[in-house]
Amino acid sequence: MRRRPLTAALLASVLVAAIVAPAAAQAPPDWSEAEIRLVGRHGPWPPPPARDPSNRISGTPAGIALGEHLFNDVRLSGDELMSCATCHQAGRDWSDGRALGKARADLDRRTPSLWNVGYSHWFGWNGAGDSLWSQSIRPILDPREMGGSRERASRLLREDKQLACGYERAFGAKPDGDDERLLVDAAKALAAFQATLVSPRTRFDDFRDALVAGDREAASRYGLAEQRGLQLFIGAGNCNACHLGPRFTNGEFGDIGIAFFVRPGEVDSGRLGGLAALAASPFNLLGRYNDDASGSSALRTQHVRRLHSNFGEFRVPGLRQVGRSVAYMHNGGLATLEDVVRHYSEVSPDRLHSDGVPLVRSLGLSAGQSTDLVAFLRSLDADPPPHPAPPPLCP
Amino acid sequence: MKLLAVLFALLFANAAWNPARADCPLDLGRGTGLVIFSDHYMIAFRPDPLRIEVGEPFALVFNVCTKSGSAGELVVVDAVMPEHKHTMNYRPSIVSKGDGRFRAEGLVFHMAGHWEISIDVRAGEEIERLTHDYYIK
Ligand code: HEC
Ligand code: HEC
Ligand SMILES: [Cu+2]
Repeated sequence: MRRRPLTAALLASVLVAAIVAPAAAQAPPDWSEAEIRLVGRHGPWPPPPARDPSNRISGTPAGIALGEHLFNDVRLSGDELMSCATCHQAGRDWSDGRALGKARADLDRRTPSLWNVGYSHWFGWNGAGDSLWSQSIRPILDPREMGGSRERASRLLREDKQLACGYERAFGAKPDGDDERLLVDAAKALAAFQATLVSPRTRFDDFRDALVAGDREAASRYGLAEQRGLQLFIGAGNCNACHLGPRFTNGEFGDIGIAFFVRPGEVDSGRLGGLAALAASPFNLLGRYNDDASGSSALRTQHVRRLHSNFGEFRVPGLRQVGRSVAYMHNGGLATLEDVVRHYSEVSPDRLHSDGVPLVRSLGLSAGQSTDLVAFLRSLDADPPPHPAPPPLCP
Repeated sequence: MKLLAVLFALLFANAAWNPARADCPLDLGRGTGLVIFSDHYMIAFRPDPLRIEVGEPFALVFNVCTKSGSAGELVVVDAVMPEHKHTMNYRPSIVSKGDGRFRAEGLVFHMAGHWEISIDVRAGEEIERLTHDYYIK
């Protein structure tokens, strides 16, 4: 830097600026009534335990126990080498630590974490599943994944003493239904277990509760960058248009301009293909395996509508534990949260054919704003307690 | 506040309505409802459950009355977000409960903000569309 003589006044003003600027940057942001209400809607956490009326053993201890044993059982797969836990690992936030799933074949989509999966209403990146149990059948039968079968799953439940006993405790009858029904029951147990995977409370939750309660002291423990990032998230960033509620998702689908080419000439049609698969599935909630006599669990499936805009839409992911992932988006195409924020900052409007006020538009964030937004997203992470091995089914 | 306005609208609607059709029942069972008019129709409706939550399915219960006294039919119920120019991701189904009463099932407002509910009714050949603005936080 070149030295120049400074007048006293100039020097003074520089000094004042030097003192004031950091102080201003450090002041906690003001939270308006409206903002506090918006922040409040991202909680409380944890929610009450998830219950699925379409699954008669949902929430039952015996069903959960059977489900956890099946989740870890490689015998559900065709070559007896792969279980659900191969790709959904407890120590990796119930995912696999890879950008794209890998089994017998490379998969085209990233393995989602199973945290909080019991609170969803559409499953898979394309929403092809309308219940947690039907979604749990897919990997068992898919030749690219576990390559199992109805016969294999039902034989396992009938012939393995421990599992047969666990089945009887969970369902109150011996495993002697037909093969397909037993496969569905296995999936219902798997679902009962997965619905217990609820992510821990985070620093954001402490702040949210303090803000709602008007406890400034407790609220001030949340970092300033996080607070500014949160204001962006619910304000100018418009992120909560889709990432809303305690899980930070509306559970529906959106197109944020991520490529949908899988390889040259081949596209992942996303929600559009998901709806076709849903309609074709014998395991959807309109079928004979829905245990809910009231019919209310099938409302969405019954009324869901196919739209042109469904092409290239993917499910809005929840954002709890998001910073712990090794890759982002349905295709694992972005490596870090910084990359995700850059995407929202720079996304091309041409890619986002929107007629109205666009929900996603390039935000043109400053470096400081990007850092703040990432800091906020990271405050949605917390270390979960270690997951203990399940006790034996029938000691 | 809002509730008061609605109740007021109800009372006012009853008073201003053609006395010949005083039997048009605007009470939808829970004492509160919204009322919209046109030259030919008066429609009372309310959500079920009463409080609409973003992302949660709800139904609308309707009472469709016509000025002429002939039977009104609810044909289509839909909703759009005019600013974002998108519809709901669900298509409601309509069940007639008789006596001008209808239930539209399977609505979901998947975003917070301004939704325009459209209500297509007919009493004869021509379909008329009435709309109602709904703001959900
Ligand atoms: C080969 C790796 C692999 C195996 C094995 C596997 N999964 Fe997955 N899982 C995935 C991938 C990849 C997806 C995303 C699929 C999609 O969206 O198309 C997924 C998606 C899911 C979802 C949807 C999650 C959500 O948020 O919607 C559930 C539930 C699930 N798996 C449960 C299971 C169960 C239960 C098993 C065992 C029966 C299992 N998975 C076995 C890779 C695997
Ligand atoms: C139009 C709805 C919508 C809006 C608005 C939106 N998102 Fe998303 N978000 C999505 C969808 C859909 C995906 C998944 C896209 C895919 O996989 O192709 C996603 C993915 C993400 C992911 C990656 C999560 C994961 O597990 O892969 C993050 C992080 C994220 N969004 C943060 C944000 C932030 C921050 C904003 C505001 C700047 C925002 N989103 C605005 C719909 C939206
Ligand atoms: Cu919208």
